[in-house]
Amino acid sequence: MKNNFKKDFPIFKNHPKLTYLDNAATTQKPKLVIDAVTNFYSNYNSNVHRGVYDLSFKATEIYEGVRVKVANFINAKDSAEIVFTGNTTEAINLVAWGYAKKNLKRGDVVILSEMEHNSNIVPWIRLKEEFGIKIFYLPIDKNFELDYEALFNAGLDLKKVKIISLTQASNVLGTINPLEKIIPVLKKKCSNAKFLIDAAQSVVHIKVDVQKLGCDFLVFSAHKIYGPSGIGVLWAKQELLEEMEPIFSGGNMVEKVTKEKAIFAPPPAKFEAGTGKMEAVAGLGAAIDYINSIGFKKIISLDQELTEYGLKTLNKIKGIQIYGSNKSKNRLPIFTFNILRLHPHDVSEILNRNQICVRAGHHCTHVLHQALGISGTLRASLSVYNSTKDIDELAKGIEEAKNIFKV
Amino acid sequence: MTQDPLYREIILEHWQNPQNYGRIRNPDIDVSQVNPTCGDKIRLTGKIKNGKLTEVAFEGEGCAISKASASLFTQQIKNMSVAKIKKLKNEDVLKNLPVSITPARHNCALLCFNALRKGLK
Repeated sequence: MKNNFKKDFPIFKNHPKLTYLDNAATTQKPKLVIDAVTNFYSNYNSNVHRGVYDLSFKATEIYEGVRVKVANFINAKDSAEIVFTGNTTEAINLVAWGYAKKNLKRGDVVILSEMEHNSNIVPWIRLKEEFGIKIFYLPIDKNFELDYEALFNAGLDLKKVKIISLTQASNVLGTINPLEKIIPVLKKKCSNAKFLIDAAQSVVHIKVDVQKLGCDFLVFSAHKIYGPSGIGVLWAKQELLEEMEPIFSGGNMVEKVTKEKAIFAPPPAKFEAGTGKMEAVAGLGAAIDYINSIGFKKIISLDQELTEYGLKTLNKIKGIQIYGSNKSKNRLPIFTFNILRLHPHDVSEILNRNQICVRAGHHCTHVLHQALGISGTLRASLSVYNSTKDIDELAKGIEEAKNIFKV
Repeated sequence: MTQDPLYREIILEHWQNPQNYGRIRNPDIDVSQVNPTCGDKIRLTGKIKNGKLTEVAFEGEGCAISKASASLFTQQIKNMSVAKIKKLKNEDVLKNLPVSITPARHNCALLCFNALRKGLK
């Protein structure tokens, strides 16, 4: 399998033997993105939304242009529905503290799932502890899929369900949740609920369309989609942004300030206090350009090929236990596994000797690991610059670890 | 057969058959410690008689480095005086291993020692 995209990423020129399989944690950056970041500093640096001078006007044009790009990328109705945050975690916190804190009261229910990342669990636990809301976790079934119908047999007062917050794809199991199908069903049964989608893993692999999904909030990070770290996105319906409270306040987010009172600016500025990460926003724009230049048709067929080959190759290893569906459909090229009784850290240490980067541990999904009854796992997560050769390298490294540990 | 640069025979042996693995009944020391790097947890129990650690055991999840190091360390300190244990330094514990461990794995190798230090505070 020849990979056409690896050459776009300078890190592989600097580390020619690198087998990078930790893309669910963060992706590498194409030259296009790195250039966009330095180009902002070299050619346009000045504060956005401030100066009347040409340079600041141009910087603002770039910054706001990326907002439009993001809106088109996820098919938002208007770029004013796009709020720049620090990352996915910050975006979920903004929904928790800016929306839920205001609208949920004691006894109201937030629905999550056992396959959520800590970023979509911990903010809700804090709300539970501070305001007495309840959390219900949708379980996963034996095929590592979301058992959303469990909600209907849980004895909950569904009128009290105010937030349903689910990941579109699991960072551990690779499962893509069929949200187009699930959201209408859950919305019908839980008519007072708002729907938040964590698209941190999915948005780089499948076409995300907020209007088609019928959700109310959607969040993701730039660094997992070939963009810079430190910048993320909250999309929310206009009317929800209007009623939400900002978490941070100060410059940029006000329309008028007197000694006694501050009038907030309309969204999205209301949620973007202070000077933003301007160069990172420029980089995010380039990352979206990069994804669009490949196209989701190509990305999906690449993912499919890698998933099939990965499952086939890894399943040949004696003693491997894969936590995820063995079918390649509706699944990302993410392989989480254990080898007999080898500890993930020991295997990863041996893989590292051949410059194979995998994640070892619980991948910020303590709840999922508890549900699976395991303490840690190894995870290989793939991206557009990976090829079947990388999977072969991984399999070879695992066999080497088995040899060293004589298992 | 040439030995692995890190996973030497002695480490593999103690990983396969850790010494002092388990739990002491009615312990004077009973302490748990988490490895901040990976979340692995160790529980250390021990009995103290006349200022001496007469019995000691550990249990929990861990990688080969942390298990082997805990096994070797508990052998080292069994029947040692508490005063002497309190004077032990990280190097004294790392010395039990046949190879020098990279800083990235220090937390693994010192997990058991850190647990005991907490227990003796």
